[in-house]
Amino acid sequence: MAYHALAAVLLPLLAFVINCFIKGKAAGWVSTIAILLGSVVSIIVFNHTFNTNTIHVSRLWFTIGDTQVYAGILLNNLSILMLLLVNLIALPVHIFSMAYMGHDQRYGRYFTCLSLFCFSMLALVVVDNMVLFYAFWELVGFSSYLLIGFWYKKEKAIQANKKAFIMNRIGDIGLLIAILLLYAQYHTFDLIKLFGQGGLVSQSFIKNGMWIATGASIPAVWQYIACGGIFLAVCAKSAQFPLHTWLPDAMEGPTSVSALIHAATMVAAGIFLLGRVYPMFNTAELDALAFIGCFTAFMAATIALTQNDLKRVLAFSTISQLGFMVMAMGINAYASSLFHLVTHAFFKCLLFLVAGVVIHEMQHVKDENQLDIDPQNILYMGGLRKKMPLTFIAAIIGGAALVGLPLTSGYLSKDGILIQAFEWSDTKSVGYKIVPIMMLITSWLTAFYVARLIFKVFFGRLRVLDVKPVVLCHISDGGWQYRVPLILLSLCCLFPVFSLNPLLYEQSWLFKAFTTPDHLERMNIYHTIIPAGLNILSVAVIYYAYAVYIQERKMLPFAQNNWVFDFSYNQWYFNKAYHTLFVKPVLALGEGLFWFDRKVIDGFIQLLQNILLWLSKVADVMDRYVIDGFLHLLTAIVQYIGNFVRSFQTGRVQYYLLSMLAVIVAWFIFKTLI
Amino acid sequence: MNLLTLLIFIPLLFGLLIVVLPSSLRNSYKYITLLAAIVQLGISLLLYFQFKTGPANAGINHENQFQFVQKLPWIQLDLGSMGKMQIDYFVGIDGISITMLVMSALVMVVAAIASWEIKKNLKGYFILFLILDMAVFGVFCSLDFFLFYLFYELMLLPLYFLIGMWGGARREYAAIKFFLYTLFGSVFMLLVMVGLYLSVKDPATGSHTFNIIQMMNPANYDANSIFSTVNHQTIFGFPARTVGFVILFIAFAIKVPVVPLHTWLPDAHVEAPTAVSIILAGVLLKIGGYGIIRICMGIFPDVAVSGSFVLGLLGVISILYGALNALAQRDLKRMIAYSSVSHMGFVLLGIASLTAEGISGAVMQMVSHGFLSSMLFFLVGVIYTRVHDRDIYNFRGLGTLMPQFTVFVMIGFFASLGLPGFSAFIAEAFTLAGTFKSASVNGLLPHWMAACAALGILLGACYFLWTLQRMFFGTERLKGGEEWKHALKDINWREKAALVPLALMALLLGIMPSLVFGKINESVIALVDFLQHK
Repeated sequence: MAYHALAAVLLPLLAFVINCFIKGKAAGWVSTIAILLGSVVSIIVFNHTFNTNTIHVSRLWFTIGDTQVYAGILLNNLSILMLLLVNLIALPVHIFSMAYMGHDQRYGRYFTCLSLFCFSMLALVVVDNMVLFYAFWELVGFSSYLLIGFWYKKEKAIQANKKAFIMNRIGDIGLLIAILLLYAQYHTFDLIKLFGQGGLVSQSFIKNGMWIATGASIPAVWQYIACGGIFLAVCAKSAQFPLHTWLPDAMEGPTSVSALIHAATMVAAGIFLLGRVYPMFNTAELDALAFIGCFTAFMAATIALTQNDLKRVLAFSTISQLGFMVMAMGINAYASSLFHLVTHAFFKCLLFLVAGVVIHEMQHVKDENQLDIDPQNILYMGGLRKKMPLTFIAAIIGGAALVGLPLTSGYLSKDGILIQAFEWSDTKSVGYKIVPIMMLITSWLTAFYVARLIFKVFFGRLRVLDVKPVVLCHISDGGWQYRVPLILLSLCCLFPVFSLNPLLYEQSWLFKAFTTPDHLERMNIYHTIIPAGLNILSVAVIYYAYAVYIQERKMLPFAQNNWVFDFSYNQWYFNKAYHTLFVKPVLALGEGLFWFDRKVIDGFIQLLQNILLWLSKVADVMDRYVIDGFLHLLTAIVQYIGNFVRSFQTGRVQYYLLSMLAVIVAWFIFKTLI
Repeated sequence: MNLLTLLIFIPLLFGLLIVVLPSSLRNSYKYITLLAAIVQLGISLLLYFQFKTGPANAGINHENQFQFVQKLPWIQLDLGSMGKMQIDYFVGIDGISITMLVMSALVMVVAAIASWEIKKNLKGYFILFLILDMAVFGVFCSLDFFLFYLFYELMLLPLYFLIGMWGGARREYAAIKFFLYTLFGSVFMLLVMVGLYLSVKDPATGSHTFNIIQMMNPANYDANSIFSTVNHQTIFGFPARTVGFVILFIAFAIKVPVVPLHTWLPDAHVEAPTAVSIILAGVLLKIGGYGIIRICMGIFPDVAVSGSFVLGLLGVISILYGALNALAQRDLKRMIAYSSVSHMGFVLLGIASLTAEGISGAVMQMVSHGFLSSMLFFLVGVIYTRVHDRDIYNFRGLGTLMPQFTVFVMIGFFASLGLPGFSAFIAEAFTLAGTFKSASVNGLLPHWMAACAALGILLGACYFLWTLQRMFFGTERLKGGEEWKHALKDINWREKAALVPLALMALLLGIMPSLVFGKINESVIALVDFLQHK
């Protein structure tokens, strides 16, 4: 089966390589067929190995020092499930893209990148060691970078992909540090050896402020830093506070990309990572995780309330739902977290594809009538349910699943998380009650923004007419490439896919696969009261939204211009804060250091050079005036003496006699005096 | 004929050919030079595939474990009472040199291709190029300190003229600065070399020797000599061996370059012609790293261990300082020059960790940076030869004008910022792995150093992505307007021929790091072992 899984991983890679060399419309088919075959293979793998044993196959990759690094495939329930999920989501998105990107000039490039993404994502879920995990972790980020900036002439898109990559890089650094700390501590990268049953991580412990493992012991703070690194990675990839701000911007990419990467699969990689390294965390760390998830879920939901961009609402909703999953990991609801990951992948992908159809049609209206509108702005939409009934039904199913209404998959997974959150808080002190309560409020907020979205888009009247009273409207559900994916995904959002009992999450096959049976008891009242209370209130909230937006009663608690609204509309001002707090100081530091480089270090060199020059000038002066001067003096003296003596050589005998006489007289005077 | 000797002197033969050819055939010089480089690449590949691995071929401090050795007596002077002066022509390679040879040979081929754009004074240029080529290979193969020094100094001269005569506007300033910096380093190196010569005696002949491998054995030092390992002598009140190490380290650190000895590099790079930038970044900087491993660590292992904290700290500073400076640049070539400083910081950090992972990572980083920086400088050269401008702010939307070029830029940038699948990722990851491990294995480098160095990887992403976004994406807008638009043609077959091998090597080493690790591993283990039992 490992080779089947390998085939499923390598098929998109093959498509990527082929697409690098071919041109034209064939690229779409190459990628789609690859992912179709991959889906078939992964279904076979799933049928054979899910809920059986763990398969681990590896080969020596390279040796460094005395460490041998292996490359291999690890198939357990978690990776098999993800393998299937990614393929099943990617398939409808590929089909959808063939129509959605059909008129783009760089159609071939789009599918090349998409196949690269699928390869990286599939490889990420099956690899067996941390080095490869990191490699593919970053490669999914890279392919996401390529796809966000696919329309590379669009200024916003290229700003967004830069931001996405850098934010993700922060997480990558965290993950790298964590992996290397684990390696320094346990001397292996192998996931099974580290996190398997009775693995190295479970044997190590913290005692007296030291993190003790069989290999080594280092101060305990490094255990927390390693976990912090993992958290950072999760926060970046799964868009959790404080690294969530890239995801809304990433919506600048094509909508099909948002559906696959920024809603269903890549952003779930953070949750997958948590699932892989789960034994690493201790209670305090899990609590921190719960709070991060809880806060993110609440914050994102409040932002989603006021956004007008169709895709941004969905993006914040994704952040919020990912917060649910992270929180679920933190409260030990491992199975529910993964369950929600799977159900969320389907209904959020569905919602994004719905958004894609709507945006595509609005763009059509815009082009046909030469309107100056943003095709993604929900304020221009309305009444689309009659023109695109299939899309409308899909939106209703997806929306219901997102809210968590009964009979949908979302009900099963989300209510499970809430119930376990209450159970978890019972075992803690009172302060921890804030987590489940916030999550309840978040659920109602979700109901409201979903309802607002659907009412604004599909109900009422088409508000483009306010801009231009007469417009040509050729709006429809689109061709089969639009319809088939929507139908497939809609079916996957309903309860029978996951559980035959529409109301009890414990009976879902997916939940059972990740829990031991003793957790299945319905031991307290939460199991009844929470789903009931939650849903009754959700319905009330939806009705309230209906009253506000359809019946247009003035029931909004906040006016649209006070600070609460602004706070939400401006996304809690995170972007501005980060820009002032981090981007600007780092750039200023760079400038400052460059100044230092030029002025101080180069200045010092310049100074040395000047000193040398000055010294050479001094030497020059010495040379010219002192040494040469002395020589000149000597020559001058010699010359003077010569001249003086020459003056005697006149050729006149009288002078010679006179001088002889003078010398003799002088001699005698000299003699007599001494 | 010894393969190594052939490898070293092949360029000289071709150089002589150019000397005797008349100027009317000046158009053939570039083909001759390219042929020389290709022959050299062929020989180095032959060496690579014939290179034997295994613990019996580790090299480092065992003369008999070196391969392709040629040892000929060269200068033998009888100095009477002072014994015999013994200088050998002694070349040989172990795992650490072999990877450098193959990398340099490929970079030289690329540099030869890049040299085709040189238009003036071709004879002088290509002769100097080939002399430089010879000197580089000589440095990597020499096992006699005198010979090493000779080749090391011989590199300086052609480089000075190559920058000073064929460079950009401020070429003379840059050439002088480069010359003085490196000369400053090597002059003092000469003193240490002489000191070492006077301290070490060949046990076989009993006379003083320049043999580097003999210098690694503490037993060969005279008890009363200046660098004696037994009696700790002092120079100006400092321990003599520490002074010796520091001086040699400074000489090589200038080459690497290590902050704060790096300011020659941006100027030299910016002013040098493309081919010389490629050689500078691709090969010259590695001589610094190689020298630190072979000479500094090899001859003064005791000081290397006690000083590793400082070395690691300098490495971390280089990484962060270089990256932050790169962030502030608007000249594309200068930006890449500072990124070189940052990336070479990993080499120093890896070496300082004194772990097998760290040193292997450092060697890998040298090989990887050799390919990637050559690629990046070549890419800058492509733009510069077309419009004679490199200011990042003057370009926008090059992706539309030069799509294939942009693909190579993206490969180069992403490979350099450490995207997995390319060599730099493996190199940086294992350098950091070694640094983290160092704390628990030998306790030399603290954990925080590795954590800070990891920040450099983040900053790397920032400046490369910013440049990509600023210059290559967006709607097309050029400072030179229509004129530039005509000039900025996509890359031609010659440029592709230079870029494709580099990109492929970076990819290949990223996917199959065993191509490097397989050859160096025994040597690295032997080196770590040697350092532990200094």
